[in-house]
Amino acid sequence: MSLPAALKAKWFWYSILCIVCWGGWTLFGKLGSAEISAPTMQFLFPFGCIPIALAMLWARRFKLEKSPRGIFYGVANGVLSGIGGLALFAAYRTQGNAAVITAATAMYPLITVVLAVTILRERLTWIHVVGLGFAGVAFVLFSI
Amino acid sequence: MHLPPWFWQCAVVLVAWGIVGLLQKLSTNHLSAESALVWLVVGFFLIDPLLYPKESVLAYSSRSLAWAFLSAFLNALGAWALLAAMKHGGKASIVVPLTALYPLAMVFLAPVILHESVTRPQALGVACALVAVVLLST
Repeated sequence: MSLPAALKAKWFWYSILCIVCWGGWTLFGKLGSAEISAPTMQFLFPFGCIPIALAMLWARRFKLEKSPRGIFYGVANGVLSGIGGLALFAAYRTQGNAAVITAATAMYPLITVVLAVTILRERLTWIHVVGLGFAGVAFVLFSI
Repeated sequence: MHLPPWFWQCAVVLVAWGIVGLLQKLSTNHLSAESALVWLVVGFFLIDPLLYPKESVLAYSSRSLAWAFLSAFLNALGAWALLAAMKHGGKASIVVPLTALYPLAMVFLAPVILHESVTRPQALGVACALVAVVLLST
């Protein structure tokens, strides 16, 4: 898809909205964790998500699918996201550079790719291998 | 090699969110995007009893509490926007790398709002990390 066509597509602007929102999430997370401890930041986190969750429930007319497996994956997703969020707030409280920490933690697809290869038996493309190389270089540079 | 003080916290984030990437795919195989988001928030609440603060949260300044709530609200809104982008015809192979560029906002805003300075190796590391995000998400 060409750039002018992408600019007219709804998905493109939703993606931009996502970048702006997640940029705000990390920035305000850093500001909040300057005073509030990491566990309390994560304790408060789900309460801030309630308006969006209610909007999703309303969009589905308060009827959710009853797939036990889907629910298990969805809840596990929340638990692990919460553990990751807790560690992110703890990293911000070390007085480390927020831009560096945010960029370092955004490399989580590194683990997803490794898991997809080992568990889902997906194949690693040469682009992924180059990406793994860049991630390794980034880690070395962060530790200088 | 000197490990920065935030190294191990970042390692936990990478492992936890790396597994999340897998679970997102598995959950949306069985649920709609809206339902998956609702159960994600339920999962957040499940670990809340372990994090119950010893002191009242009202002891914190209202400004810090506002940052905390706004941070969570924007995270959930961003997650919805990502799912909506896919629902409106965006390919996962394009939308995921595009949205994984969210640290760019922090890279540009941190010096202005947080008055942080980035060393040259760190700046190069951030650039490498962003390239890695795009390549690994492709």
